[in-house]
Amino acid sequence: MPEFIARRLVQLIPTLIFILVVVFVLVRLLPGDPASAVLGDRALDADVERINRELGLDRSIPVQFWVFVKSFLTGDLGNSISLRIPVTQLIADRLPITMLLTLMAAAIALIIAIPLAFVAALRRERLPDTLIRGGFQVGLSMPVFYIGLVLLTVFGANLRWFPVGGYGDTFPEHLYHLFLPAVTLALSLSAILMRNLRAAIIEVLDADYVTFARSKGLRTRLILFRHILRNALISTLALFGLSIGTLLGGAVITETVFAIPGAGRLMVDSIYGRDYPVVQGLTVTLAVVVSITFLLTDLLQAWLDPRVTK
Amino acid sequence: MTILRTMAVSATALLAATPLLAQERGGTLTYGRYADSLFLDPVLNDANVDIWILSNMYDTLLLPSEDGSGVEPGLATGYEVSEDGMTVTLTMREDIMFSDGSPITTDDVIWSLDRARNPDNGIWNFLLASVSEVTSPEDGMIRISLSQPDPAIIPALTVFNSAIMPQAAFEAADGETDAEKAEAFAQNPVGSGAFVLESWDRGSEMHLVRNEYYWADGEDGEKLPYLDAITFEVIPDDATRILRLQSGELDGAEMIPFARVQELQNDPNITMELFPSTYVHYITMNVRDEIGGEDNPLSDPLVREAMNYATNKEAIIQTVTFGVGTPMESYMSMATPLASGDGPLYPYDLERAQELMAQSGYPDGFSTSILALAGNQDDIGISTALQQMWGQIGIDLEIQQVDNATRTEEYRNGTFDMRVAGWTNDIADPGQITSYFAYSPTIDALHSGWMNEEVDSLFEASQSEIDVATRTEQYARIQEIFNTTGPIVPLYETPYPVALQNDVHGFVQIPLGNNIFRGAWIEQE
Repeated sequence: MPEFIARRLVQLIPTLIFILVVVFVLVRLLPGDPASAVLGDRALDADVERINRELGLDRSIPVQFWVFVKSFLTGDLGNSISLRIPVTQLIADRLPITMLLTLMAAAIALIIAIPLAFVAALRRERLPDTLIRGGFQVGLSMPVFYIGLVLLTVFGANLRWFPVGGYGDTFPEHLYHLFLPAVTLALSLSAILMRNLRAAIIEVLDADYVTFARSKGLRTRLILFRHILRNALISTLALFGLSIGTLLGGAVITETVFAIPGAGRLMVDSIYGRDYPVVQGLTVTLAVVVSITFLLTDLLQAWLDPRVTK
Repeated sequence: MTILRTMAVSATALLAATPLLAQERGGTLTYGRYADSLFLDPVLNDANVDIWILSNMYDTLLLPSEDGSGVEPGLATGYEVSEDGMTVTLTMREDIMFSDGSPITTDDVIWSLDRARNPDNGIWNFLLASVSEVTSPEDGMIRISLSQPDPAIIPALTVFNSAIMPQAAFEAADGETDAEKAEAFAQNPVGSGAFVLESWDRGSEMHLVRNEYYWADGEDGEKLPYLDAITFEVIPDDATRILRLQSGELDGAEMIPFARVQELQNDPNITMELFPSTYVHYITMNVRDEIGGEDNPLSDPLVREAMNYATNKEAIIQTVTFGVGTPMESYMSMATPLASGDGPLYPYDLERAQELMAQSGYPDGFSTSILALAGNQDDIGISTALQQMWGQIGIDLEIQQVDNATRTEEYRNGTFDMRVAGWTNDIADPGQITSYFAYSPTIDALHSGWMNEEVDSLFEASQSEIDVATRTEQYARIQEIFNTTGPIVPLYETPYPVALQNDVHGFVQIPLGNNIFRGAWIEQE
């Protein structure tokens, strides 16, 4: 197992280098430059040239890349062009918010998906199954910002159960503020997970070892948890791990609707603002986060199914 | 002719537009903004998100009046312009202090103005370009010597970039260069305004507390501000911002979309303010003879005139601003000093437009394009309306949705056909807008390639013309030429839509955009 982890970590290095190069070049291929983006329509040519020179953007891309790599290796991601504070500080402030939101959304998605998948699978093609699947179909077809606004209006503004957006100041407040956005984010993921898990459970239900366990007279609950859930979860877990990346992406819209100062909004603002250092630093950091999530998913899968590491 | 104006020192006169209720003190006002500030340095900033709140943290020698067209006393109690217009002498207010309790000295003033007019600093130094030297001839006096008479120097002293900052605290900040020091100082600033920055969670929340050492008196005879603190919350989504206001979590919210104005006007708990502004909305046309090697129909003045008459501004005002906007009478807003206008420009006249097209070099019409900001409902609404309206004079309009940086690049390179655009003044003077819109050396008249020698020479003359009557005539002629032959399709002016709880009073957003919180107060229960 340690060897498996080490191998995966080493594989991560070329991936990160590749991402680094691609994002560095891509962001510079976009039309417009940071000075014009920051200074806006009124900037005079002399101002734009002066600012680009100050930022070192008048140098060739290979030279810029070399400068970037040198400071990157010392842990310095540079300063944000528009906000004028270190990128590392920005990421340290805002990424944890998005991570917490994503984790809560993932947990809520699982809490919704697993029981419903069981009910749907065990009552296959009957009323509960139809209702559950139909409900999720409707949920999946609604845009995230719309779901967010409906939840905000009903549970925030009208019922006053939850705050209308924002992030709060203390950890319990963060959890409270993030609940509605996490639910918003979780709904589409839980629909996908539920359908996948339902199919997997149905497959396992028909497997020989379940028939065997039943014929041995094992209690239903034991069969459900030890045999069915564990085996059915393997494929769903892979899907779940992959979905974390999507969740991080979905956080962009959710963060905007709920006024959460997370990394998703930072990324969008930075791309629009052509804030190269922030886009670069954030992309690489997110790549690391997603890669580690994949690694953890693999480890969990290996634990559920030892054949994976072989 | 002697220009001598001294102003009343009384700060009470300042707040002459008093509400009927008596001011109450204390409390925190929570205000929802559509975007966070970027960099709170008066000299080096470059965005409205900074400019429009900076005046709460730093005072200038003179302050802009609430109607945005005049000046009032600030850190200086009065000023005098010499007969030849070459010197401005200001009397400093006595016993004024920064937010850390240290005195505001003439050295701070000289240093601040020298920093603001340094051509290497930021993009606003042109406002003080006429200044040749700032000195203190005697204690409590500031003398600004000019290299040429400058009719806009007095309003320039009310603009955010000429704010007074503490030299000692700034220079003690970490960093080698002015920019590095500014970055360090802005994290933990010492100010001269009514409020001072206490904490700032980027992208989320900014907290300002009252400056205990602020100089101005309130209506109740005590020092301003009335509020203990202001919290700015960043809520980019319009619907969420309004929802937070309606649920009582905000005391005020800016940038209310026009589609929601009427609904909030009918809300009994909310005061929907439409503050007069200098905000004009227009289409910029590239009028170069060729764009990308191809003939450009927009270079034909008859075509531009036809397009202007074919534009039904009233319909656009109804559909895009829900009736809130008003038609433009000149390229500058009517709130701009020396603006001249007699009625809306180019009243809708389709027949005339068709006749003009028939006389033009393109009687059979042509294809062209317009840049709209992707995702911006106003831009897309305007473009779609124009597509339909100009279709009636044979123009096939392609709408290109792009992001801001892409649009700016095409604009600056002069490779665009047309774009949707907006403008607000930063100074109570027609010089700034005219320099960008009409005077070709600045940015090729909105990067349109338009050039008129008479306008250029009139503008140059007006920049050092201190006789008000002569300057008014110069501006009347500039506006006449630009409004009839210029490279724009004027659309409408809009106010600043701000929604406040009914118990919030005394807040104003002046026509230049500055949010002024020093006279704001909340009814206490």
